Amino acid sequence: MFGGPKVKLTKELYERVEKYAKLAGYSSVEEFVVHALEIQLAQLEEAQSDEEIKEKLKGLGYLA
Amino acid sequence: MASRTRTRVALWAGAMLALCALLIALGQSLSSHPRVGLNPFIESARAQGRTPHYERVIILGIDGVDYQLLKMWMDEGRLPNFARLRQMGDYKPLGTSMPPQSPVAWSNFITGMNSGGHAIFDFIHRDPQSYLPYSALSEVKPPPESVSVLGVKLPNKIGLPFSDYVLPLAGGTTVNLRQGTPFWDILTEHDVPAVVHRVPVNFPPVSADAITLSGMGTPDIQGTNGTYAYYTNNPPADWEGATGGKIFLVDVVDGEVGTFSGGALEPPRLYGPPNDFVDYEAARRRSGRSTAYQDRKASIPFRVFVDAEHPVAKVEIAGEEIFLKEGEFSPWVPVEFSMLPAPGIIRWAKHDLVSVPGIVRFYLKSAQPDFGLYVTPVQIDPANPALPISTPAEYSQELADALGRYYTQGMPEDTKALEKDVFGNADFMRQADLIVEEERAFAQYELDRFERGLLFLYFSTVDQIGHVMWRTLRTEEGHPARDEALDAAYEEVYPHLYQRLDEVVGFAMDYIDNETVLIVMSDHGFSSWRRAFDLNRWLYEEGYLALRPGVPPTEVEYLQGIDWNNTRLYGIGINGLYVNQLGRERSGIVAPGPEKQALMREVAEKLEAIVDPETGRHPITHVFMNEEIYDGPYAADGPDAQLGFDVGYRLLDESAVGGITAAVLSDNTRRWSGDHCQDYRRVPGIILSSAPIRKPDPSLVDLAPTVLEIFGVTPPAEMQGRAIY
Repeated sequence: MFGGPKVKLTKELYERVEKYAKLAGYSSVEEFVVHALEIQLAQLEEAQSDEEIKEKLKGLGYLA
Repeated sequence: MASRTRTRVALWAGAMLALCALLIALGQSLSSHPRVGLNPFIESARAQGRTPHYERVIILGIDGVDYQLLKMWMDEGRLPNFARLRQMGDYKPLGTSMPPQSPVAWSNFITGMNSGGHAIFDFIHRDPQSYLPYSALSEVKPPPESVSVLGVKLPNKIGLPFSDYVLPLAGGTTVNLRQGTPFWDILTEHDVPAVVHRVPVNFPPVSADAITLSGMGTPDIQGTNGTYAYYTNNPPADWEGATGGKIFLVDVVDGEVGTFSGGALEPPRLYGPPNDFVDYEAARRRSGRSTAYQDRKASIPFRVFVDAEHPVAKVEIAGEEIFLKEGEFSPWVPVEFSMLPAPGIIRWAKHDLVSVPGIVRFYLKSAQPDFGLYVTPVQIDPANPALPISTPAEYSQELADALGRYYTQGMPEDTKALEKDVFGNADFMRQADLIVEEERAFAQYELDRFERGLLFLYFSTVDQIGHVMWRTLRTEEGHPARDEALDAAYEEVYPHLYQRLDEVVGFAMDYIDNETVLIVMSDHGFSSWRRAFDLNRWLYEEGYLALRPGVPPTEVEYLQGIDWNNTRLYGIGINGLYVNQLGRERSGIVAPGPEKQALMREVAEKLEAIVDPETGRHPITHVFMNEEIYDGPYAADGPDAQLGFDVGYRLLDESAVGGITAAVLSDNTRRWSGDHCQDYRRVPGIILSSAPIRKPDPSLVDLAPTVLEIFGVTPPAEMQGRAIY
């Protein structure tokens, strides 16, 4: 499906992913993996730029 | 003859003075001496072991009043009203929370439960999946990706044509992370009215029937704990690394302040909240470059002119002209940040589709030749709040109408500006005075109209001023943060602050009668903070915490750079120690059960055995295991242990946010020179009460059930405290 870089998974993880991809109604393992990664990345990218963490936490007087 | 007359006059005056003194003393005992003991119903309740009934409970909650300091200054006669209250009723240490940090301690007070019941364990918590630290008091949830409209799922961002703006259909939300029911909500369910002023960890306030104003935990308009702005042509050292504020380098050209850009003078800008109405991804695709976090904030320009001869300046902002002398704060100035301007077609409306209101105060630190203009963090405007800060929503407006606008940000004393040399001692104390006056005005206003139920009033300054002015106390000679030349002149600042609070206690005492009990309490005490302990450094040196290949320890920040597959323990928060636990942390390796227990025993023993070579003392008196101090449904969410530091010690700042520095132990040279995040047994709070206290060891968790029982309400079973009277 993708011509881009390939990522290696252990056999055990692949089997777990395959099982839950089917259960959750994804059309393929790839679709599930891509979706899961996008969700995780969106969370990390949107909420937590380093600067934002710094502004929110280090603004506290208790911390220099 | 003349001499005899003078003697007679003196005798006569002396007699009159004595009579006056007697009358005043009598008057005092008649007008404001407690009649509590005379109430037969109270006496009978006491005899039967029941909590006596009162119609009114007044609680003054003064953050950070220390038991020993207060006792010393009462005994020296410096605090006559505190001492009068002690004599009338009782004075005892008040057991605090572990850790004795304000959000944890006040949550114990609010819910009558420890952290296992209210889920606040520290200022800072961490996400076990991402290992990222976050503010533990409230959570800002971003707008959802999609919304359902009449059963149809739509993307939540509608792009506006010919622009990078998007219009979300549903906004983000802010959630108070404290669990458990505040006792005032139980009171109002039983038709007992309650007014609760600025109690910490109550943002956003959600009470159904109580009148509340949020306090510590309320952000500024940028969503931070407070971000000041300072415009100067002579910045302090390392000005670009300022935290809790932004320092802007400006020039003064022909009397006007700005930055030179392309041959023209650009006026300074005041920054507001990050603008979520812009699609930064679309902007990046269009322009080929991404927008830095600072530039995502909405901003407004303003102009500043410096007088050529006199130390004064004029600020022009939002259609107002403000004249400032050196060392002077402006009144509150309302400002408005445009988030979504009206599109061209309807621009005739001259209004933004979305804008965010706020308020600021300007302070001219110096006019020339060194120019320095400080602007407070942009506050949520109590007269026009962008986020809810009170229940009912109109209450913050009502207070603003009656008393004028006021600070709404939690912990508004700008300790950050003081630590960065943006404020000197005198500038800082000028700002602190404004806050003390606000708190006194609130107290007078609410006491005057208080009729029945609970009145809680909060005072922040003893805590915040204590933190940064501790070094000025006479007892603190030799403190690593003390500058003898600058600080010795300020040694009376802190006792004087206690005296100003003594006046508040004095006028609150006028309201004591048979049906009114007055409680004055604090959430924790205070101590010196001279030496700092870097937990993560120690864990790294002892082999409990491993780094990814090529990462030098001093580059670790926010727990980034750690090799989780080989890390057993890590520190986050001001007292917290966590196991990297299998099944809980994303890459946990320590199995819960016997393996974890053995590890915790081993590390506790080692930590308690550490000796500071500089002082010969143990920095850590006791490692409190989670199960030793917490019970309740949220206990398992907390740290696996909390470090109990001895007085004089505290965790190093960098370690608290998941960083590592070069040394396990170091001098604390910060102006933040006093602290209390220590072994809770060493820093109890205080309780003074107009009625005698029966319980020998009252604690914060006891106050909620006490107030409930006073009004005849049975405390819920989950409350861990017991009534004190």
